[in-house]
Amino acid sequence: MTKLRITEYLDLDLVAERWQCNRCGQDLGAAQANYKEGCLVAERDLAEVHPPLLEGQAQSYTPDSQYCRLVEFYCPQCATMLDNEYLPPGHPITHEIELDIAALKQKHGLAANAAGGAKG
Amino acid sequence: MSTIAYSRDHEVVQRLRPEPMTQAEIDAQERIDPVEFDIFKHKMHMIALEGKETTMKLGASTAMRWGDVAFGVFTRQGDLSVCATGIYHHAVLGQIPLKYVVKHWVNEPSVGVKEGDSFFYNDPFYAGVHNADMGLAVPVFYKGELMCFIAAAVHTGEAGGTEPGGTCNTAKTKYDEGLLVPPIKIGENYQLREDILNMLAAMTRDPRTMILDIKARLAAARIAQRRVLEVIEEKGPEFFIGGLRRILTQTGEAARRRVAQLNDGVYRQPRFLDTVGTEAGLTKINLTLIKKGDTITMDFENSSPMLEGRPMNSFFQGILGLSCVYYCGWLFHDLPANNGLLEAIDWRFPDDAMVNAKGDASTSLAPLVQTCFTQGMFLAGARMTYNYDSSRAVAAWFSGFAIPTFGGINQFGEGIADITPEINATGCGARPDMDGVDAAGAFFATMSDCSDVEATEADRPFLYTFRNFFNSSYGHGKFRGGSGVGFGLMVHDTNRFMLGSMGGGSRFPSTLGLFGGYAVPPVFVQTVHGSNLKDLMADGHTPLPNKLAGIYAPDAPEQGNKATSEVNMVVKPFNDGDTYYVAVGGGGGYGDPLEREPESVLKDLRADRVSHFAAREVYRIVYDAETLRLDVAATEALRADSRKARLARAKPFAEFVRTWDSLSPPQEALRYYGSWPNPREGMLPVGQLKAA
Ligand SMILES: [Zn+2]
Repeated sequence: MTKLRITEYLDLDLVAERWQCNRCGQDLGAAQANYKEGCLVAERDLAEVHPPLLEGQAQSYTPDSQYCRLVEFYCPQCATMLDNEYLPPGHPITHEIELDIAALKQKHGLAANAAGGAKG
Repeated sequence: MSTIAYSRDHEVVQRLRPEPMTQAEIDAQERIDPVEFDIFKHKMHMIALEGKETTMKLGASTAMRWGDVAFGVFTRQGDLSVCATGIYHHAVLGQIPLKYVVKHWVNEPSVGVKEGDSFFYNDPFYAGVHNADMGLAVPVFYKGELMCFIAAAVHTGEAGGTEPGGTCNTAKTKYDEGLLVPPIKIGENYQLREDILNMLAAMTRDPRTMILDIKARLAAARIAQRRVLEVIEEKGPEFFIGGLRRILTQTGEAARRRVAQLNDGVYRQPRFLDTVGTEAGLTKINLTLIKKGDTITMDFENSSPMLEGRPMNSFFQGILGLSCVYYCGWLFHDLPANNGLLEAIDWRFPDDAMVNAKGDASTSLAPLVQTCFTQGMFLAGARMTYNYDSSRAVAAWFSGFAIPTFGGINQFGEGIADITPEINATGCGARPDMDGVDAAGAFFATMSDCSDVEATEADRPFLYTFRNFFNSSYGHGKFRGGSGVGFGLMVHDTNRFMLGSMGGGSRFPSTLGLFGGYAVPPVFVQTVHGSNLKDLMADGHTPLPNKLAGIYAPDAPEQGNKATSEVNMVVKPFNDGDTYYVAVGGGGGYGDPLEREPESVLKDLRADRVSHFAAREVYRIVYDAETLRLDVAATEALRADSRKARLARAKPFAEFVRTWDSLSPPQEALRYYGSWPNPREGMLPVGQLKAA
């Protein structure tokens, strides 16, 4: 087994050391990097997902866009939303998963410097 | 020999992991038969479970009656070995007061620890997450020798302070929080001391509940003491002492084996809070999990600094306590809940941080800081565990509290103060294979219940106008979060009453989704002073709203002075007939909503568990609004179009970030945040607090 399923939508090709979309196999970049760099990214209008239910009041079930924005990350091939982030406007995008690739390879019986492995 | 310095003991709170093994414990290990040990473990757990149930049956406060109870048996050094609870933070925090008693009172001639004694505590520095968590412990002696402690930790919903109901949005320092008792002796010779009870009663707004809860804890502890003594009589003291220790040792070893199976790596999850108590403001808890070998290290570098003059802080030990809600309930769900688990956990807290409160800072809203952090454990934990066992990778349950707090004179003319129990009706987070359970409980109190409304109405001056599922209370996804509930309270038969709210997430959602699932929408409070609802009910001719959506409808029949408030609402007067509406949220969503089975959406539509807006705009299904029949072809086409629309509006990462980087929240939102965006950037380096 050289392909590991790391999340619902992310596979890791351990030999090539690349992220892949679990749904369509699209390459999403080096395993050492943030897979989001291989995604297409969009900010959503908050009210499209969290519509206001109460007109004319300060509170209405829609987040306050001065405090919070919704950023979505899509697979560039199949357009599955691989993840999203609720962040204050302008807050750096999170690099959530940074696996120890060398340790993973060792765990799965692969040589540390197998084919691929190019960083970046 | 006094060890007391008349100040908080910063040494004892560091001793969260099990104490070193004593010689007696080491000697006992060789002679413990493994089969006898398994029987012993089961027997001890049954004793603890009985203790938990007894405490609940005898208690008076909302939380005690509905299950916010931890009941445990501790080694004679104070470590928690056996625990019955769904309130897993007590599995780590419950032991500190006992270690304090051992350290300070055993050899102190003016106090001492003797058979028949009982000890009380509620200072959250030692005892729990906030001062509404109160505990009572008894030492158990056999033939004159201390064998163990038995203790019950329970949330009693009133602890004095600037506001009723156990949390104070307005607290500026710890002196505004009310009762803060380090472990003290409240009983000796099997009798509670009436002078001490009298003092505790005098310092809170609901003395009857305070005293009944203390007596409930003690009664349950005495029953457990009898059972434990029977076990010691049968197995012998050496086996008993060695057995309690072996439970702890085995737990730690099993936890380390579990952690070793997870993938090594760094897992990050910044968390944001949108309130500091009395006002809006952004703060950040920057959680990094470093998983290496058989240890998970929780690192909090670059979290917002400690808030001076505001109650939105937590002691580091409270953060560790709440981490165990995730660890005990999810990662180590099949291991005993005790502090042996911390053998697999390490931690690093910056010296000046809202998650590492010091000095006289208020921690009255620590529960919100801690649940905000725990969300990060769910999210980072899901990414850490999916590859190991995807059933562990669940979205988080609601974390914003939205708890009505109240105090005043009830319909019988009695002074009361407490919270209502709907926090125990939040929805579960969605899972990789199913929707979250609707109105399941609280993630930090999974065994708790939200009570019948009739039971709450019986001794609180409320009339529930409705309480039921709210279809805009959870996060959407391939699997949706469990639904939370909306409810309406009318103050009834009193004009001397105050209502407020404790919570967060009215601007920034408190509860996020997982792997493309959406967050729980922000919740808020709506109030109507001078409401005509009582007249409308008496008249009987007008159909009245029986769910939150009806309250928000433009043609809602209720008239009066309507206002909305964020869920951190300082108490204010409510008179007979005034109304209060709020939702406790459901769970976060899991996965891309475009992958949700259309039939599941329709099933939810039939049960009023999803809105038509979400069915059309979020799940993108096409159906007949009258018959709720799916148009399969049109749904497939709409979903395909939606995917195309995504790619059309999205940009490559680097291009997106160029525009995104130029944004920032307004300065007024960042007053308490620290440096933007990394709170500690530019601040002087400080020493780090670290477990031994
Ligand atoms: Zn794809």
